[in-house]
Amino acid sequence: MTTLPLDPLTRKKIHRFRSIKRGYYSAIFLAAAILLSFGAELFVNSRALIVRYEGRFHFPTYGSILPGTTFGLDYRYETKYRELKRKFKAEGRGNWVLLPPAPYNAYENDLTEGIYPPTAPDAGSGHWLGTDSTGRDVLARLVYGFRTAIVFSILLLLCNYTIGVTIGCAMGYFGGKFDLFFQRIIEIWANVPFLYIIIIVASIMIPNFFTLMMIMLFFGWIQMTWYMRTATYKQKSREYVLAARAMGASDPYIIFQHIIPNTISIIVTFMPFSISSGVVVLTSLDYLGFGLPAPTPSWGELLRQGTSNLDALWIVSSVVVSMILLLTMVTFVGEAVREAFDPKKHTVYE
Amino acid sequence: MKRILSLIVAAALTGIACSKKAEEAPKAEPGSERTAAAGIYKDGLDELFKHPKLARADALPKGIQWLTNDSDPVFASPNAKKGGTYYTYMDSFPLTLRTVGPDSNGSFRSFLFDNQMDLLHIHPETGNLTPGLATHWATNKEQNTLYLKLDERARWSDGVPVSAYDVAFSLKFYLSKEIVAPWYNTQYGEEYDTITVFDDHTVAIKSVNKRNLQDLVYYATMEIRPRHFHEKLLDKDWVKNTNWMIEPNTGPYQISKIEKGKFVTFARKKDWWAKDLKYFKNRFNTDFTKVTVIRDPNVVFEHFKKGMIDALPLVIPEYWHNKATGEPFDKGYIEKVWFYHQRPQPIYGVYFNQDVEILKDKDVRIGISHALNIDKVLKTVLRGDYVRMETNTLGHGAMDNKTIKGRRFDLAKADAHFKKAGWAERGPDGIRVKNGKRLSLRVTYGYATHADRLVILKEEAKKAGLELTLQKLDGAASFKAMLEKQHEIAYTGWGAQDRMQYWGQYHSDNAHKTQTNNFGNVDDKVLDPWLVAYKDEFDLKKKAELAHKIQQRIHDEAYTVTLWAAPYIRFGHWRWMRFPDPVASMRSKDATTYPFDGDWGGVFWIDEDIKKETQAAMKAGKGFPPVTLIDTRHKRG
Repeated sequence: MTTLPLDPLTRKKIHRFRSIKRGYYSAIFLAAAILLSFGAELFVNSRALIVRYEGRFHFPTYGSILPGTTFGLDYRYETKYRELKRKFKAEGRGNWVLLPPAPYNAYENDLTEGIYPPTAPDAGSGHWLGTDSTGRDVLARLVYGFRTAIVFSILLLLCNYTIGVTIGCAMGYFGGKFDLFFQRIIEIWANVPFLYIIIIVASIMIPNFFTLMMIMLFFGWIQMTWYMRTATYKQKSREYVLAARAMGASDPYIIFQHIIPNTISIIVTFMPFSISSGVVVLTSLDYLGFGLPAPTPSWGELLRQGTSNLDALWIVSSVVVSMILLLTMVTFVGEAVREAFDPKKHTVYE
Repeated sequence: MKRILSLIVAAALTGIACSKKAEEAPKAEPGSERTAAAGIYKDGLDELFKHPKLARADALPKGIQWLTNDSDPVFASPNAKKGGTYYTYMDSFPLTLRTVGPDSNGSFRSFLFDNQMDLLHIHPETGNLTPGLATHWATNKEQNTLYLKLDERARWSDGVPVSAYDVAFSLKFYLSKEIVAPWYNTQYGEEYDTITVFDDHTVAIKSVNKRNLQDLVYYATMEIRPRHFHEKLLDKDWVKNTNWMIEPNTGPYQISKIEKGKFVTFARKKDWWAKDLKYFKNRFNTDFTKVTVIRDPNVVFEHFKKGMIDALPLVIPEYWHNKATGEPFDKGYIEKVWFYHQRPQPIYGVYFNQDVEILKDKDVRIGISHALNIDKVLKTVLRGDYVRMETNTLGHGAMDNKTIKGRRFDLAKADAHFKKAGWAERGPDGIRVKNGKRLSLRVTYGYATHADRLVILKEEAKKAGLELTLQKLDGAASFKAMLEKQHEIAYTGWGAQDRMQYWGQYHSDNAHKTQTNNFGNVDDKVLDPWLVAYKDEFDLKKKAELAHKIQQRIHDEAYTVTLWAAPYIRFGHWRWMRFPDPVASMRSKDATTYPFDGDWGGVFWIDEDIKKETQAAMKAGKGFPPVTLIDTRHKRG
């Protein structure tokens, strides 16, 4: 009964998943967005993609900074490529700069004297979604914020599920005192006010990406244990487990080879919702000011700026629209996964 | 002393407010004292003078030269009209109507405080002392005693005359344990030596410290309390019993109506004893002042735009430039005022913790000073409204060393100083390195709203090869981290002080230990003696010289970088609210926020005719020419 990649049941599930169009396309779109966000430096960045200077090519996107002196400028800090482009164009000596479509990074303040941020979207300046209240590009912050949020929630999900599934399975499988003990632990754990803990921790130290994840992990693993415990109890009493045991299979073998593959539908069904809740939690913490430290680009921080600058509608609308799109698509995917893995469609209970 | 109080934000850890329900605040019932209403209250004087810090004497020492002031210019407008109601707001309802004791330290307290007149006031233009409850004053040769002659006309709101016994009683009151106010107990205990009463209206306040006259008045005068009201109440239940009592006062207004959780209304005393005195005439004009609770700042603004409150401070650039625009402003219903004053400013600065190895080097500190692009912050997110704070005082007149100019953003100079300190190399990310260590420093701060300023400093500092990482903690936690010296660079603001103090922040006694304000761990043997001398000096000229030397040294050694200040008041007001010329005072508080302030409060008036005219125009959709008054007479630089 193991689920091998191409076993007929899996194929059936994939087929079913594909047939739910909106979930399928959402999945493709999301996967593409996540993949693209890993290469965000190529699309949204203040560093140029290619610089042609005095017959030589430079590719500044990745790696060390290239100080202004590299291109015959009089400063030693990082080259301002947008200015460089204008300069080369004006000189007309065959040097050229190729900038990404959105030529700003998420940190720099594009401030001109006399013009006060936030500034409205303007294709001419390259601020496709305008700037925030310190003159940073909203699109850049949105894209890099997305990457942070999605990586955060995927990593969080992996850690949560590893712990949750292991403990939940163990509880269900071993039962008895072990089960009782962990049930009590979890009940106590679940009653610790999670938000307060975060607030307390955030006020005494800078929560960085990993500490924040550790704190959330501290409380996040609980949810899966209950489901896994129940599912394991159910599977444990099935004949194939008894058969395996009669044949002398070890406990870990039974858990990993028999029980987990048969409860995979639960795990997979919960995944998209866990991802969206991860994004939501991170965003709301950032919104409240207890999340990632400034100036890390984040949706929550954008949302906060947006709500306090309602007259700068482009800030709040871009983050709200992105948020709605992301969460809707994740929900579609989740819905399709649930349908595809619905045991009633494939399994016949004796 | 009252002025010091308003600066101190004490954490009210004194427990939960008494939940006694009092639908209507009970009127003071002084019982047998009522008979004394016509005359000075003299019951139980022998008991009063048993207090170790109170004394009686028959004759004044010889050679006292009484001073008074009736020659300074009048600043209130003769055009002021009496009548109308001034509508203003508070962000939460007070937990008590007491002005001392638990839970009394809220923002509403100033409304009550200011209606207790000071013994002496300060002229809002000249800065000289002017009469308050006292008409004449003097000091002795030793410069430690203030002699006062009280105004015989002064009356409490219940008609009882104000007397020297009230002054004496006030000290006993502030030192008593029953008021549950430890700050007063210690502070007044350390400041006041004795109060001596000579007759019904003459009193001497002796300080423990030797001070010049202005300082003596500043430190050694207090809010006078009505003895006939408090003496009988002053027992272990005083805090509970007086929670919602209306204390008799000497100022222009008294509470007339309270609806708990909603509003407090003050009514003008029609026969206020000081109403025709030179410096009080044509002031305190509105018949009523209604203070309504509005909890959310955005809602406050909406109320203001609808004319439900008459005036609103607009100091924050975003308010002035963005929010305060649109119909009521363009059509001239609301007028805007921007008035530069010369009041002491809060000090915003970055403090280099010199216990951090990198920051021990003076050249690094100077390098960082040149790597902070403060001008860019001023010109961009602060919209050019704020000014650069050149040194660590502003608004203290002669005490400010005006020759110092703060270090400007200058990559060449930063580079030179960093190089001198051995930070010549730059790593692959453009940040300087020395022996494998990056020039990266953590900036600890506690103001979420200042994040936009800091990210600009951070981004610009990269150009100089300096990395600043920002550590945002919540307000209390950041202050705690700094007190414990856990910061590398502290970004913080110190509340405006009427009298600049340096010892706490710069003396070596406070360095390398926790729970002190020496955030830089400054340990400078050159500076130390000056700091001590400054603290003890009472001659204003010598004190100023020392202050200049101290400021120069702090600048030369780059112990701190001071950032910016907003040396102005800015507000909007409906056009029916009228002001004298000038609309504000260069040295006093804003009258719209502190309408009862003794020095400058109550100078405005509500013109009912203009109000009707404006309301009719609004109905008809008609407008008036928009008014924005910018007064730069007292602007510096």
